[in-house]
Amino acid sequence: MTSRRVRSVALMLVGAFLLAIWTVPILLAVVTSLKDEKEVLAYPPTFWFAPTLKSFHAVLFGPTNILGDLVTSLIIAVATTVLTIVIAVPAAYAFARLKLPGRKPLGFYVLATQLVPPIGLIIPYFLILNRIGWMDSYKGLVLIYMTFSLPFAIWLLVSYFEDIPREMEEAALIDRANRWQALWHVVLPQARGAIAVTVIFVFLNAWNEFLFAVVLGGANVRPVTVSMYNYINTEQTQWAQLAAAALMAMLPVIVLGLAAQKHIVNGLTAGAVKGVGRR
Amino acid sequence: MKGAVVLKGVGKAFGETRVLNDVDLDIRPGEFFSLLGPSGSGKTTTLRIIAGLETATEGTVMLSGKDATLLPPGDRDVAMVFQSYALYPHMTVFENIAFPLRMIRTPAAEIAAAVRAAAARVRIDHLLERRPGQLSGGQQQRCALARAIVRKPALFLLDEPLSNLDAKLRVETRVELKRLQRSLDVTAVYVTHDQEEAMSLSDRMAVFMDGRIVQTGSPEEVFSRPATVQVAAFLGNPPMNVLPARLSAGKAVVGSTTLDLPRFGTLGEREVVLGIRPSGVTLGSAGVPATVTLCEVLGEDVILDLDLGGLLLRVKNPGRKRIPEGERVLARIDPERLHVFDRASGARLD
Repeated sequence: MTSRRVRSVALMLVGAFLLAIWTVPILLAVVTSLKDEKEVLAYPPTFWFAPTLKSFHAVLFGPTNILGDLVTSLIIAVATTVLTIVIAVPAAYAFARLKLPGRKPLGFYVLATQLVPPIGLIIPYFLILNRIGWMDSYKGLVLIYMTFSLPFAIWLLVSYFEDIPREMEEAALIDRANRWQALWHVVLPQARGAIAVTVIFVFLNAWNEFLFAVVLGGANVRPVTVSMYNYINTEQTQWAQLAAAALMAMLPVIVLGLAAQKHIVNGLTAGAVKGVGRR
Repeated sequence: MKGAVVLKGVGKAFGETRVLNDVDLDIRPGEFFSLLGPSGSGKTTTLRIIAGLETATEGTVMLSGKDATLLPPGDRDVAMVFQSYALYPHMTVFENIAFPLRMIRTPAAEIAAAVRAAAARVRIDHLLERRPGQLSGGQQQRCALARAIVRKPALFLLDEPLSNLDAKLRVETRVELKRLQRSLDVTAVYVTHDQEEAMSLSDRMAVFMDGRIVQTGSPEEVFSRPATVQVAAFLGNPPMNVLPARLSAGKAVVGSTTLDLPRFGTLGEREVVLGIRPSGVTLGSAGVPATVTLCEVLGEDVILDLDLGGLLLRVKNPGRKRIPEGERVLARIDPERLHVFDRASGARLD
């Protein structure tokens, strides 16, 4: 074997090992969800068993089903994503292009919000939402999620916008476009990859969020991350149903990930090399 | 008046840094006018002020007879070709050329006809469906030109449009550019640091140094009577020889040599810089003794570096034959072709 082949085989083995680490929990969840509750607790664990969809039936159609909570999660995640993008895109453009007074300190402030550990904000947020009467509501949770997603999205997008050559917009301005038209026709189409990446990150964060949802929501507005918690209680843990619920909660994220795969890869590398493919 | 550009006392500062001082320009309609200068001399800033991409800190800009000092770029009826071409990478060539027309809501049928006509003029009408990334450098440049001419602007601004092309293509495109400008009968303002480009293209040109215009005139005027020693040293290839000398009573002392210059007898006694183009020096049986330190054969021309008592004197084309380095020669400086500049200010004296 040539050294190049050895190298590629070694790389493949390392890749397979890392992939295994990543996939073991998911595979375990798949296996667990297909067992019945008794089988899950069998010791030693069984590898050959009669698979059943009972748990999926229970989490989707049973008395404690999570369908409504999935919808709740979807509403919150979509609302957070849409609002964040609508505000973050023009904000990031302004940071990247306009000569605003206080641009630097503002930029730092945006980033500084990411330095605060979320747990430290729970009580202030609780008090604020309680005072304005937004506790346990969609708007309350979306607002709280945006306090994290908005700075993150702006920060992510600014670097992409800065990479788009200024001359391209200047050409548009000379060609009689106004600033909005230049943004719409020239800048945004080139930032598509970056926006796709931002959408996914923001959506994922909102979809996966548990801490704020359990403290600031949970009764009227209960995202799926919180409702999964109900399969764990003091008497027993319903492992099979918990695994089935977790898999159902993963589904939309996987679909989104697959749909946007191309954009993610393009978007992640777009900022890496200045000007490549843009001129 | 359409296409006339008048700048009066234009200056520009970026914060504390002054990049442009007291620029006056009067560009006539239909003229091909170059802004020539080394990098950082303010020529691109001047062009951007004409385009409206920068606002002058002081002074006025008049375009086609109207005050345009504060007008946004879109309202100036100008088109610009950028050094990087600034094509829109996500649009096809057709869409790129159509963009200026789409922005003024031209009907689709008219756009299609105008785009085809503009593309045909620069011979890229077979590439309309491609994206800029699929074009060669020369084709991208043509696409940028087509986008500029499609809406028939009053003024055509070009910011070093040939600098990204290879040497051969650059010379070809230069000729076409001039032909295009003539056939469209449009005013063109052309920024370049390449003196050969400016000389060959321009009707008139302005030479920029350190944020000021030091000379304006036709290429012939500027070349044959440079206003300052800096302009003299910037123009020509190889550039003019500059020799510090002491002038007194019609004689100039250059190093250990004395030249008879009755023509400059009226200038009195002073410290000067003498300028002589490399083609103004010949080798022969009489003249100043010098040593050959370098001999470059460039096809048609031979360039010799001579050591003239510690001063460098470049000579162009002395008989087209190689002369071994180290050989002693006699150099004759043609006094009729000497330029004389003040040592302190650099200004022309004759």
